[in-house]
Amino acid sequence: MSVIQARGLRKVFRTGFLMRTVEPVRGVDLDVREGEIFGFIGPNGAGKTTTIKMLTGLILPSSGEATIHGVPVPLPESRRGLGFMPEGTYFHDYLTGREFLDFHGRLLGVPRAMRERSIPELLQKVGLPHAGDLRIRRYSKGMRQRIGLAQALLGDPDLLILDEPMSGLDPIGRKDVRELILQLRDAGKTIFFTSHILADAELLCDQVAIILKGQIAHHGYLGELLGQEIEGVDLVVEQIDEALYERLKQEARRAVVQGTRYLFELPDEAHAEKALKLVLEAGGRVRSLSPRRRSLEDLLVSDLQADSATARSEGEVER
Amino acid sequence: MSGLARLGAFAHNTFREAVRDKLLYNLLLFAGLMIASSVVLAKLHVGYDERIYRDVGLAAIALFGTLIAIFVGINLLHREISLHTVYSMLAKPVQRYEFLLGKYLGLVGLLAVEISIMASFFLAVLWIKGSPPTAGLGWAIQLIFLELALVTAIAIFFSSFTTPYLAGMFTLALWIIGHLLGDIRAFGLQDGAEAYKPLTEFLYWCLPNLDRLDIKAEAADGKVIELARVGLSSLYAVLYSAALLVAGSFLFSRRDFR
Ligand SMILES: Nc1ncnc2c1ncn2[C@@H]1O[C@H](COP(=O)(O)OP(=O)(O)O)[C@@H](O)[C@H]1O
Ligand SMILES: [Mg+2]
Repeated sequence: MSVIQARGLRKVFRTGFLMRTVEPVRGVDLDVREGEIFGFIGPNGAGKTTTIKMLTGLILPSSGEATIHGVPVPLPESRRGLGFMPEGTYFHDYLTGREFLDFHGRLLGVPRAMRERSIPELLQKVGLPHAGDLRIRRYSKGMRQRIGLAQALLGDPDLLILDEPMSGLDPIGRKDVRELILQLRDAGKTIFFTSHILADAELLCDQVAIILKGQIAHHGYLGELLGQEIEGVDLVVEQIDEALYERLKQEARRAVVQGTRYLFELPDEAHAEKALKLVLEAGGRVRSLSPRRRSLEDLLVSDLQADSATARSEGEVER
Repeated sequence: MSGLARLGAFAHNTFREAVRDKLLYNLLLFAGLMIASSVVLAKLHVGYDERIYRDVGLAAIALFGTLIAIFVGINLLHREISLHTVYSMLAKPVQRYEFLLGKYLGLVGLLAVEISIMASFFLAVLWIKGSPPTAGLGWAIQLIFLELALVTAIAIFFSSFTTPYLAGMFTLALWIIGHLLGDIRAFGLQDGAEAYKPLTEFLYWCLPNLDRLDIKAEAADGKVIELARVGLSSLYAVLYSAALLVAGSFLFSRRDFR
């Protein structure tokens, strides 16, 4: 069963004095299945946050519908068993971390005894064991992000919606959050998170949806989207002479000289094998040999290029 | 039951936010100074001492109470929205009206505490000066409290759908008009002003009649105040506030938190 299901979600805003319309989300379908990590990926301004605000009942869709745990959004019941971490780190900064979690726990109806037990555990879990009695005003950006995560975990929800959980964190923070997400998945939870960083998705996700300009450009399991075939092989060598360089260049799609090293982008495994043999026979040194798979980045870049190409041709039609 | 618990949590947090804000203490300090100044003023108008203590004391309670109701009230609601703190709260299984009503109750609790502090100060001045407090003063303070609760409901109503700047302007405008409604009606009832009568009657019956809740002058004069009048005025304030909160909740439930 889908934990989150959305059909044709669309949002139109009217902004400014002239009430210009903008349509940040233009018909989004989503199916997030139980127990998976779902990455909602797209560049800044693609409509991720707007979609999430519709799912969490903070804004009403202009059209389309969604359910969470089978309950139609935006009924409050649809938010039961849901932990949400909003984008940015806007929390009541006059409260201490502990007061903040206690207040949000009360909103969820978590009994006092349970709050007293679980709040120190949560602080520990997100790496803030000593900051519980400090006002959030004094927290660094990374600490705010962590208290936001703790807030989302209150009441032990089985679905987590995290909007940009890794943005603004240092490398250690990002790794901590990644590990926490994996840990939560292992505990059987469903995680829906957004990111504008593709590497996050490749490291974590079962399923991804890539959103561009308010529309889903790709939707599916990472393996299916990227394919298993290799797109080429990168070979890095040293100590080869001019003649061999020229010879290898003929095999390669591209050759790059980096100081004493030479990088050859070979189109497939057969070419790679041939090149490797040539180098070894000539007494050259192989520094690395790595297959190149299609990455989400490639997928997105090709989308964006196609997009700007259409924009250009549309522009020509106008002229 | 859990709805009430959430209401309580919202109210408690609002109260806590306000008491951690310096603005409140500054306003209270000024109120104290104004009440104390009545002692000096009384020296300038020998023979009217009692009247001056009471006038200035009640006026200070009403004025600073109103400032707190309008500015702290609008600011606290607006901050939740503009600082995006509503996101994490309202994305929980809560009803939006629980948030709005909780906010309101927290603010009214705050006003109750503040009025108690200012009233104690006022009573202390009367006691030091040997002027006995009257029942009328008590009723006047109760009606000031209910007026402020009504003004807070007006502020919450406007804040539920418009910007804090406009909400402040509208609330201030209604506060001024609300105190003039008696005069406005009297104007429409004059000979030669028949053309205005439908309008003035409409305003009189529809807008929040704060004039009705203002018995400061009579109380300061030491006049006896009828219980029935206090009761009816109190009922009026409560019902009007409730109506505004229902309307505000409806508008707030349809609002987008962009
Ligand atoms: N309240 C709003 N009024 C007008 N435009 C908005 C509003 N909120 C977002 N947008 C626009 O909608 C687009 C998508 O925004 P958002 O959903 O925040 O993107 P993302 O989270 O993917 O970065 C952006 O171009 C943004 O400018
Ligand atoms: Mg966003």
